[in-house]
Amino acid sequence: MPESFDRLACDLARFQAEHIEGYARLCRARGVDITSIDRAIDAPAVPADAFKITRVATFPEHEARAVFRTSGTTVGAQARGVHAMRDTATYDAAALAFGRRMLAHGMPERFPVVVLGPPPEAAADSSLTHMLALFAREMGTPASNAETFIVEDGIFDISTFDERAARALVLGTPMLVAATSFALVHWLDALGDDVFRLPPGSRVMQTGGFKGRSREVDPAHLRRQVARAFRIEVQAVVSEYGMTELSSQFYERKPGWYVEPPWARVVPVDPVSLAPVPDGEIGIARIEDLMNVDSAVCVLAADRVRRVGGGFELLGRQPGAPSRGCSIAIDDMMQSALASTERGSPGKP
Amino acid sequence: MRTAEERAHDVMRLVEAARRLAEDAAIAHELTRSTGLSPEGVERALSRHLETRPSRAEIDALVRYAGNAERVLVVLSANVFVAALRAIAIGRAASDHVVVRPSRREPIFARALIEAASDPAIALEPHIGVETIDSGEIHVYGRDETVAFTRAHARPGVRVRGHGAGMGVAWISRSAALDHSARRLADDVIAFDQRGCLSPRIALVEGDYERGVAFAHCMHAALSDVAQMVPRGVLTEAERAEAVRWSDALSFATGALHAGDFGTVGIAPSGAPLLVPPPGRHLHIAPAPNIEAARAMLAPMDGAIVTVGSDDPGRAELFAPPHARIAELGAMQRPPFDGPVDRRDP
Repeated sequence: MPESFDRLACDLARFQAEHIEGYARLCRARGVDITSIDRAIDAPAVPADAFKITRVATFPEHEARAVFRTSGTTVGAQARGVHAMRDTATYDAAALAFGRRMLAHGMPERFPVVVLGPPPEAAADSSLTHMLALFAREMGTPASNAETFIVEDGIFDISTFDERAARALVLGTPMLVAATSFALVHWLDALGDDVFRLPPGSRVMQTGGFKGRSREVDPAHLRRQVARAFRIEVQAVVSEYGMTELSSQFYERKPGWYVEPPWARVVPVDPVSLAPVPDGEIGIARIEDLMNVDSAVCVLAADRVRRVGGGFELLGRQPGAPSRGCSIAIDDMMQSALASTERGSPGKP
Repeated sequence: MRTAEERAHDVMRLVEAARRLAEDAAIAHELTRSTGLSPEGVERALSRHLETRPSRAEIDALVRYAGNAERVLVVLSANVFVAALRAIAIGRAASDHVVVRPSRREPIFARALIEAASDPAIALEPHIGVETIDSGEIHVYGRDETVAFTRAHARPGVRVRGHGAGMGVAWISRSAALDHSARRLADDVIAFDQRGCLSPRIALVEGDYERGVAFAHCMHAALSDVAQMVPRGVLTEAERAEAVRWSDALSFATGALHAGDFGTVGIAPSGAPLLVPPPGRHLHIAPAPNIEAARAMLAPMDGAIVTVGSDDPGRAELFAPPHARIAELGAMQRPPFDGPVDRRDP
């Protein structure tokens, strides 16, 4: 019989408290005896900001095989969160399993994958780029990096995209196009009124916000524009929610309604007490991620969420302390959680 | 057109009105309700931070800064309620037609000041829109979004002087007496419960991690002590939530964290990026081996720094951004009455 979620989460929390002094300290500060908990919710959550100011890892630095960083912020590279992994196998297996289920259902075993972003060699510390390269490698039809990642030196290679889309249309094979929201805005701006018809059954995965890298666009409007530009159904535009600090991802089942994989939970908590809020109420996202074996099994994000029918609604960022008077707000200065929820820096096209 | 002497006289009229208000117990009571500060916090703001005794040289400098405008709309922000005096004074120095739009959250002080000054050149218009101003200047104070909105909606030909969000930084030099410096800095931290753009949020301590820890202990003691005399007021839920996140992050990162009703003092690990704490009497202490290191640590946030306070202002000047005001510890929240507190390009 498989171990329960709670048991695994508590075991991981104990393992992490044993090997990460900071987590043991946080447990003490919160008055939690980590050796005796038997519910995941009782394990203190590590604020995403902690990844920016210290190492959150159970292993020594030299054992890291991959180091992912949150994207830059208004205060520059200094404030980037770091998530180190000594082995990406767990991450890869989880991302692939849930990604295939949520993005590729009804699609052939392999299909063309195109990323409106730079190649892995240009964004080596981006967990998003790592994941998309994985998708291309494991789910995609054979293609070179140049044919898959079509942004080079900040410029879209539209002719390559055109070629791949045309070939897929001829073969009648659906495609997966993946991009950040800001890349999609730039793509739409570049396209103007033109369209790139994708084969029937194709999907577009969009992730992240705008972070000042493009004009801000209402998500529903962006979704419609993307559907128009690619001549696909609006429902075929699937949002993904992930963070560099996590190893699991969440996908939309319906617009604005996300679901977790079986190995992760999103629990809305009261922003002050950090206790779970009653079902249906809005809280900030406490994310319990069993794939975060070597870092933090419980992470406190800055996004507002609400549980709805087996999933959760993503309701935007928890507003930082408002700048009452002219005092600077954390939001203004650090955009820290924003950087947390937007992984890596796939570059501005 | 008024002479400089006449403009200075008009400014003095406002200052005198402010002086009368500082003695008014009724307004202090109202301000406690509107600002969320404790009664002692309001009293301290009125007695220490309201500029009731500016020098003539300061007023002359303020008049020179203000220049001349056909009319001025002053859009005020909420929390540093005494800032209304300086803002209206600059407007009045510049123009004979001043309209003031107070903050919706804290309209009390501006209204009382204008009534007390009884200057026909100054009118209170709580609901005036920036787009209705067809000439002259708009002086806007507050959130960056408010400044950006004003710029976007001001009519062509109307000059917008905007003063957005900012913060203060303290520099504790190698020669500083830590306990004394902490007590001086605590005065700067508690003013307006740290919601002002001059409020220190980060203290760089010259030296190693241990010296930073020692200063954190001193700050803890100083903030605890001063909270006995001037308790912290009411924090908003958003402020409390941010404080929880910040102190948990610091707890994780370092053992040196002091938290209580007085606020929170945390010290980041050596070399860690600076994390700006939320308002509410929270201080992030970071050791910096030398001036060069301090400059490098602050560089990414240069544009947000409005003031640098130090036990050694001369050395602080070596790394402070050019626009920042330099102050002695304990005087960061009492800059000369010589123009806007924020000297970044408006």
